[in-house]
Amino acid sequence: MESKILKPVLAIYIGLFILFLYGPFFVLGILSFQQGPEGGPQFPIIEWSTYWYKHLFGMTPPSRIAPLPVGEALVRSLILAFMTMVTATVLGVMAAQAFRRRFTGAGIVFYLIVLGMMVPGVLTGLGTSLLANNVVGIERHWWSTAFVAHVVYTFPFAFLVMLAILNRFDGSVEEASWSLGVSPIRTFRKVTFPLIFPGVLSAMLFAFTLSFDEFPRTLFASGRDQTLPLAIYGTFSVEIHPNIFAFGVMTTLFSFALLAVYGILMGLSVRRAKKMAMQEDIA
Amino acid sequence: MSTDIVNKQKTPTFKLLAPGVVWMILFLVAPIMMIVYVSFWTQTTFSINSTLTLESWRNFFASDAYVGALWTTVRLWLIVLGMTFLIGYPAALYVGLLVKSKTLSTVLLVLCVIPFWTSFLIRVLAWRPMLGKEGAVNIVLQKMGLIDSPIEVLLFSELSVIIGMTQIYVVFMVGPIAFMLGRIDRNIIEAARDLGAGFGRIFWKIIFPLSLPGVVVGAIFVSVMVLGEFATSGALSGRKVNLLGNIIVTQVGSLKWAMASVVGVILTVLLGIVVAGFLRIVDLKREL
Repeated sequence: MESKILKPVLAIYIGLFILFLYGPFFVLGILSFQQGPEGGPQFPIIEWSTYWYKHLFGMTPPSRIAPLPVGEALVRSLILAFMTMVTATVLGVMAAQAFRRRFTGAGIVFYLIVLGMMVPGVLTGLGTSLLANNVVGIERHWWSTAFVAHVVYTFPFAFLVMLAILNRFDGSVEEASWSLGVSPIRTFRKVTFPLIFPGVLSAMLFAFTLSFDEFPRTLFASGRDQTLPLAIYGTFSVEIHPNIFAFGVMTTLFSFALLAVYGILMGLSVRRAKKMAMQEDIA
Repeated sequence: MSTDIVNKQKTPTFKLLAPGVVWMILFLVAPIMMIVYVSFWTQTTFSINSTLTLESWRNFFASDAYVGALWTTVRLWLIVLGMTFLIGYPAALYVGLLVKSKTLSTVLLVLCVIPFWTSFLIRVLAWRPMLGKEGAVNIVLQKMGLIDSPIEVLLFSELSVIIGMTQIYVVFMVGPIAFMLGRIDRNIIEAARDLGAGFGRIFWKIIFPLSLPGVVVGAIFVSVMVLGEFATSGALSGRKVNLLGNIIVTQVGSLKWAMASVVGVILTVLLGIVVAGFLRIVDLKREL
């Protein structure tokens, strides 16, 4: 049948598609090794050098090109992402746990939560800062107004991940625990939580990375201290230099490191689950 | 005994939900209400007060620049949506249905997701050295002898915004479609083939309808993100393409909160219509 032709054609297509996805990424990587400080963010490469990486860490002699204000912004972004991760995951696990029972108004609550990822970031940011300025009368900060906006965005993701996990969850182990007189909180801690832990890890990873890279909400809601994406956005309005590309390469490496940690933790928890299952078999 | 069980079940549900629901009402619903409210406030050059007026609304619809931004947003959204679908569907078809090996399919999906571990803003900026007059695309095309002089319209134009947005958002279309295609029972396709149906017929009668929920989910993702966009158009169009998002950013920048709110409300309504429209095509709750 036609799929004899279709399959190879689509195989070539997928190659081109991936090239399309990675093209800018490669160009960014290449140009980050541009000669500095007079080398620009475009081709040709005048001479290969690691100048812009040194520039990023302030290890180059001063030039007219200002260093990226990434140091403090990076710390803020990490703290903010961590706070968001913890809060969003706790709220997500709680809400998903509640959804295991039928209750009136479940539809409305579901849409209320999912709305958080649907509303464009500019609007969440705008509304939050309007509310802070005009009604509550507080100053905006990355750790207050931007933080609540980040949770509004990431909580739905954590909720949906946990919902998917809990949908496949076998409740009979919990019932066994309850009928043995173990309190619900202790049952959750000792029985349910270890079993859903891989899901919790995924929800945490989601929330952390989404918050770390979050920008439209942060723009209006964060006040005067910049987070990392805002520091990058600041370069949009001025001339760009290859230091931003070097920085892009660095953040990508950081993301991979994070992904590796996630992979290791995931592997460990899966192995532990297998071990527990084996012990049960023996018993 | 039975009331005891009911009580035991109801209280935790409420307690478990309360924090999340309160959070969303305080920090999502209230801010959106606030935008609606502020859009009726009175704006003077340097200040804003809560006397209600329709002035900002009148100004929006009286200005060609603002109404123009509305149409640009709609046009660009439709184009990017079409592009992500046209480019994304064949990729999803291959990954989700035609690749037999589970490993290869996972590897391809992971490959598609990896670029997303670079900051969104840097991914946007990376298109500049790609599309510029001396950019990678022009250099490659010239070296291949396909063009004599560089194509200048590639950067700082509507085209560059479309290219950039398509690349950034196409994966949100590929993912859901590939997921739905992966769930199709291969026996149905086998049966149709045994009954003598050609691939075209199988595709239109079986594969495409079954992938439709994925298309709708992808379209909702892409629409939500493109309609609220301002960074890509700001960075790649050289301020030539103004979307509703860009207007909001400039208005907030000059402390014109009322006008920013008007644009915000219009954006919300537009988004509501779009999402509601998509949900009418496919009943997601039944499909998923």
